[in-house]
Amino acid sequence: MSGDTLVLDLVLAGLLVFLAWRLLTLSDLFKATVLFIVFGVLLSLAWVRLNAPDVALAEAAIGAGVTGALVLDALRRLDARGPADEAQPLRLNLPRLVGALLVMGLGAFLLWSVLSLPPGWRGLSSETAAAMPRSGVVNPVTASLLNFRGYDTLLEIAVLMLAVLGVWTLNAEPMPPAEPAGPILDVLVKALLPPMVVVAGYLLWAGGHAPGGAFQGAAVLAAGGILLHLARPFNVANRGVVRLVIGFGFAVFLLVGLTLATLGGRFLELPERHAGILILMIETAAMISIALTFVVLFVGNARDNAGRDTS
Amino acid sequence: MTQESWMEGTLAAPLLGAVLALIAGRSAASAIGILTALVGSAASIGLAFAVSRGGSFRYAVGGWGAPLGIDLRVDALAAVMLAMTGVVGLCISVYAVGYFRGKEAEAASSRTNTGPAWLFWPMWLMLWGGMNALYLSGDLFNIYVALEVVGISGIGLIALAGGSAIAAALRYLLLGLAGSLLYIVGVELLYAGYATLDLEQLRQRIDAQPSTWLAAALMTAGLLAKSALFPLHFWLPPAHGHALAPVSAALSALVVKTGFYLLVRLWLDVFAALGTEHVTTFLGALGAAAVLWGGVQALQQERLKMMVAYSTVAQIGYLFMLFPLASMSGSLTGALLLAVSHAMSKAALFMCAGSVLAVYGHDRIQSLQGFGALMPMTAAAFALSSISLIGLPPSGGFAGKWMLLSAALAGGAWWWAAIIVLGGLLTAAYLLRVLAFAFLEPVVASSTRAPRAMELTSLILAGMAIAMNFALLPLHDLLHAGGAR
Repeated sequence: MSGDTLVLDLVLAGLLVFLAWRLLTLSDLFKATVLFIVFGVLLSLAWVRLNAPDVALAEAAIGAGVTGALVLDALRRLDARGPADEAQPLRLNLPRLVGALLVMGLGAFLLWSVLSLPPGWRGLSSETAAAMPRSGVVNPVTASLLNFRGYDTLLEIAVLMLAVLGVWTLNAEPMPPAEPAGPILDVLVKALLPPMVVVAGYLLWAGGHAPGGAFQGAAVLAAGGILLHLARPFNVANRGVVRLVIGFGFAVFLLVGLTLATLGGRFLELPERHAGILILMIETAAMISIALTFVVLFVGNARDNAGRDTS
Repeated sequence: MTQESWMEGTLAAPLLGAVLALIAGRSAASAIGILTALVGSAASIGLAFAVSRGGSFRYAVGGWGAPLGIDLRVDALAAVMLAMTGVVGLCISVYAVGYFRGKEAEAASSRTNTGPAWLFWPMWLMLWGGMNALYLSGDLFNIYVALEVVGISGIGLIALAGGSAIAAALRYLLLGLAGSLLYIVGVELLYAGYATLDLEQLRQRIDAQPSTWLAAALMTAGLLAKSALFPLHFWLPPAHGHALAPVSAALSALVVKTGFYLLVRLWLDVFAALGTEHVTTFLGALGAAAVLWGGVQALQQERLKMMVAYSTVAQIGYLFMLFPLASMSGSLTGALLLAVSHAMSKAALFMCAGSVLAVYGHDRIQSLQGFGALMPMTAAAFALSSISLIGLPPSGGFAGKWMLLSAALAGGAWWWAAIIVLGGLLTAAYLLRVLAFAFLEPVVASSTRAPRAMELTSLILAGMAIAMNFALLPLHDLLHAGGAR
């Protein structure tokens, strides 16, 4: 490791700790939210430094992007009910001090555990390398997520689906009526939306051989959807079409797995010859569902024009 | 059918049913729910029979095999939990059809709609699928994802009740996330140490490294919070006590068992080589404290559902007394029998509470005079469930407690035996207190009836809890054949 990158790493790590501390102690929730987004961006840089570009992309798109938008959205809903943007800043009292000491002790123990690992730890990289030719893709991260451990990803998509059901269950209030979109937002939507769709498609396709994939593509697609919603509010309530798209990714993944099992293989055993195309199919369906999931999380359970509950 | 196809059915049926119910929407969700419940429970019972004949087996999802891929492991322990989930899950589904039909009739007469109540079906089926995935899994990270599916669907289901249940759901969410975080940090540490996530490979490679102990401690803390063992039980009574009746039944009867099951897997199998005597004693002591604390709290509750919820806190404690007694023969059979009969009787009790709520419009214990005359079937179900929970013969609760008691006495551990007996007395006190009201003269003549399906299902479940008395030998044989470690 050269001296320059060591300095960069130290600055990055220091900044992350500082930002985390600041955003916890701020009383202005809006400033804290902005710091949270900055924190997410810097964290994705840290992932880049750790040679995990896939995680970095996901962190930037979902951790900073979509989550940041959700927190801003939540803040706006709080605002609509009165001055709620003043929070009690965290003050140190005895239980918190004990908690902080415990967490710090745990942190030290973790650090020591990591440092005591044998040098040159390679995990499962040789097993992964040996299996790559049979995986249908070139990017080992995609191979792991969609093929070697595709079953995990299937259940993770189920969790995202459940998040939408949770929002519908809570009957979350729709966004308060937005200010009429100014001409700038309108132009922005027109200029940005087409390239965003293209970028999402590219990320999906790139996942086969380079960092990218369904989650990253979905985050970009969802950002486009949220932008569009801000300019021209639309309704993604609990309706047949919306439910079909939300369930689509999970259903396709599960049915592919079951079909392969009935054709004589095991559940989710992708045959070597068709693995590439099957993965692309599963990822496309998943990307569409996940993108709409994020949009639904942002928009909430909108009521129709008559003010009736549309669930 | 082969073992593998029973297993695939058990795994896939609830997941497929969940997404179909979601896509189909309000009109068809309950029909899909019942159909899925029938298929899912049949598959899990078939799987239990297949394991008792053919022994335990592994299944490499995706065909890769551990450590690169995910291996499922189906042994007798998993098969018992899956069959329990299947049987109780089917009953909960039947009950839910009647329950929500009642709600709809109520809503129609007041010209409102039931709102998102039908979302019960996709979330409940997904919860079922998550539990099945968890019991089938032989992989630490896969178990984490299954835990998330179980947790998030549970939160949505609690929130269905609206009002004060939403705060309880939020607390459940935060606690569940904290538990998951602790668990996953432990998993990462183990993966860093042994380069595998597979339970079996881990068991072979494990040694007493400091990081292994740290991982074990973190995972245990996370799972204890999820299984609501004293003193981490505080989130359970509000969550289970405020949810809709079929949801409370599912959470209290089935979901709390998932954490217990994982801790059994970890401490009696994977970590066994670490020398775990003080840990198992510690878990047993927490269990004993839970039995006493939960019992005393249940005695003081004024609302029926809260009382039943505190009873769960106590009954979970019984299961954890398996840990210090595990080396005694028959203790695992006893604890599993106790777990299964608790699932049946606790689901039945929450169903009874739901039926009482539907008729009385409240569940204040003091004002339930004469519910025996108004709703004889529900009162009978309540009485039968009480017999099993208290541990009176003949019942599954009796047989299970008897096995644990003999294990304790055979090992000369009279103090565990004393707790088991004392807990039974407490259980009798709080359950008989409610039952006494059944025999009083009814004060109000209520014209509302609980839907027949609801009352009948609770009675069937309570009857099964009694019949579990005779499941001791088959269960013992299954554990023997399925090589549960």
